[in-house]
Amino acid sequence: MHASDLAVDVLLGLGVAAELLCVAGVVVMRTTLDRLHYAGAATTVPAVLVLVAVLVRVHLSAGGLQAIATVGLLFLINPALVIATARAARRIDEPEET
Amino acid sequence: MNAFLVAATVLLATLAPLLVLASLRRPIDGLVALETAGAVTTLVLLCLSVGLGESIFFTVALIAVVASWIGGFVYVRFLGRWT
Repeated sequence: MHASDLAVDVLLGLGVAAELLCVAGVVVMRTTLDRLHYAGAATTVPAVLVLVAVLVRVHLSAGGLQAIATVGLLFLINPALVIATARAARRIDEPEET
Repeated sequence: MNAFLVAATVLLATLAPLLVLASLRRPIDGLVALETAGAVTTLVLLCLSVGLGESIFFTVALIAVVASWIGGFVYVRFLGRWT
């Protein structure tokens, strides 16, 4: 087994474990905002770990660059969706008095 | 079966509890589950691209990120207005 194979296995294992933790948090938590906390985390550390594993395997090929773009977009634009969801959840839980 | 296909299979299995959550809880909680499922699906597609050796699949993952993001925003707007 080469060192790169070992690195891929470790990175993928860590990434999948972190993603499982985030999904468990989304399922187990009680309030919407607590769930959102874990939903936001699911697009950060696990995604980067999987990306690094992909890059170890395919290097900076066309596929590798597309993987960087994919995880980069996931990392950069998802917080806007999390914020919008949190605002909607707050509006639902605490409706404005008119 | 290589490590990427195993990872994709395990990640696919995590969609089941999210589906249950989206079915049983409030719509806003279901939306959070949907957003998480979008992130998981993206990682599944990345793993499948490498695992199957088809570089064209990387494009699918890239499109899935943008599509799930736009879809999430549409649901947020409607949920915010209707409830």
